Amino acid sequence: MPLVLRALDLRKVYVTPSGMVEAVVDVSHAFTPGSVTAVVGPSGSGKSTLLNLLAGFDTPTAGEVWLDGDAVHTLSERERSSLRLRRFGFVFQSFNLVAVLTAEQNVALPMGLAGVPTTLRRRRVAHLLARFGLERRGDHLPHRLSGGERQRVALARALANDPDVVFADEPTGALDTTTGALVMDALADVAADGRTVILVTHDRTLAERADERLTLRDGRVVAARSQHVADFALETDS
Amino acid sequence: MIGALALTSLRRRPLRTFLTALGIAVAVGSTVIFLSLGEGLRRAFADGLGGLGPDLQVSFGPFDGTVFTAVPELPLRYQETLEAVADRYGITSVTPILLYVRGSLATATAFVFYGLPAELDPRRLYAEYRVLEGRGLDPERPDALEAVIGEQTARRAGMGVGSTLRLNPRASFEIVGIATAAGGLLDNAIVVPLTALQRAIGTTDRVSFLALELRQSDQAARIAGEISSAYPELGVQTRGDISSLFERGMQITDVVRLGISGIALIVGAIAVANTMLMSVFERTREFGVIRAVGARPRFLFGLVLVEAVLLSLVGAAAGVVFGYLGAWLVNLLAFDLLGLDIAAVTPRLVAFAVAVAACMGLTAGLLPAARAARIPIAVAVARE
Repeated sequence: MPLVLRALDLRKVYVTPSGMVEAVVDVSHAFTPGSVTAVVGPSGSGKSTLLNLLAGFDTPTAGEVWLDGDAVHTLSERERSSLRLRRFGFVFQSFNLVAVLTAEQNVALPMGLAGVPTTLRRRRVAHLLARFGLERRGDHLPHRLSGGERQRVALARALANDPDVVFADEPTGALDTTTGALVMDALADVAADGRTVILVTHDRTLAERADERLTLRDGRVVAARSQHVADFALETDS
Repeated sequence: MIGALALTSLRRRPLRTFLTALGIAVAVGSTVIFLSLGEGLRRAFADGLGGLGPDLQVSFGPFDGTVFTAVPELPLRYQETLEAVADRYGITSVTPILLYVRGSLATATAFVFYGLPAELDPRRLYAEYRVLEGRGLDPERPDALEAVIGEQTARRAGMGVGSTLRLNPRASFEIVGIATAAGGLLDNAIVVPLTALQRAIGTTDRVSFLALELRQSDQAARIAGEISSAYPELGVQTRGDISSLFERGMQITDVVRLGISGIALIVGAIAVANTMLMSVFERTREFGVIRAVGARPRFLFGLVLVEAVLLSLVGAAAGVVFGYLGAWLVNLLAFDLLGLDIAAVTPRLVAFAVAVAACMGLTAGLLPAARAARIPIAVAVARE
């Protein structure tokens, strides 16, 4: 049974020298497994902050994040690391590959951290690189790869430990339109495996291809196409 | 995993790795050179002492390390005195020895004359002593003006068999042989007949010290105490006494040399800490990504620490090589000046240098490692 990631009344407030900034305000949403949810909105609307909270990079000021029965917002740093390692995958705007590691080593990194045996690790790295058409690029360092190839390596790395949820923060921001479309295809494929894909993007075309869309403005959800929030609220009330 | 990643990281940033390792190598190398001076002197002394036969050495007055007094002080009559009580103390032989230094502003022409009874086989005192060229002293001619020159002195002074060595206006010695004592004192001395040397310097009734051999060498300390009690005007030293006196002196210089080395090591540690801090700063995004994909803070802590230690060990290895080269160079110069190899890179010195370097890396890496472990993921991955 696919796991559902849910946010409930999520709030993040930053204290700055010029006063308090509400980056995310009362966001509630259930992200559907097997689909791509695009989080859209103008710059400073709180998209990346929401992703950081959902992914456990940051802790909310108030509200809750649940991955099925696990309360992500209450986990310790160590438990959140473990959660990210085994159940989450990440793709970032500027690829964020480890510069000194080859494509293969980048993909193998999460598996190494998870203690996957070497033989299995090698087999899975080969499989993932082949899936994204990178079988001939395995021994290349990131600087020798094109932007599209780097982002595909990042996707392969995101899937290394077979995660339930894949977060993609502006994954096509540094790519041309054609390459961006290919990466979006790949994300759709990932979702088709039954995973939850959460995509933060400025790109309207990309957002339109998503199965669901969550629009933020000034940290608040101003438009959402999800019918799960009400169900979730009922479940937690009971 | 940490080790492999740390190695990869160091390998893929060769310039930074090289420069930092070079800094450590210089620090460790200079430490090795400084400390090798002590090791070399210890070894030279041990070689000399190891070949020294007498179980006890008797001087006039308490022994303070100045056996090379300008004027011999011990009245020769103490030889008869001690021979008379030989049975009581288990003394098997009493050998008078006269040391005389002919000074010079040039080290090549400064000589130590070592007066031994002509009939005495020097191997009784220096087990490793052997004549390489020519012959030894003639036992039948105790007053002959002939000399057997130590190998290193001969090389330094450019002398050989047949050369004449002027002691003073009254006496010149003809060199009849060249000998070696395998690094011992006699390598740097000129052995001459005791009687001839006494006459040459006009002191026939005094010597520098008496060398005693005992029936039971393991009782040397007790017998030294007994002789000292019976003859309070004499200084009686066992080999251990001489050794410990030397060791005390060496320990003082050890502290000085360690202090100087410590400064070099602190500079090296600062270089490592600086490099690692810069590295953590430059790699903030990389570390953020590693944390984002699931690494715990302690993984990054360990990674930075292992990199620092690896850098230090690589630097230490190069530093030991530098140290070897430096010690070799020091010996090259010292041999010409002193006729001694004063620097020695011993296994314990290498082990010490490597251990110090590892500790240095560990200490210098702590702060950068702690900083790496605290990097906030959200900020790090968003960093350009």
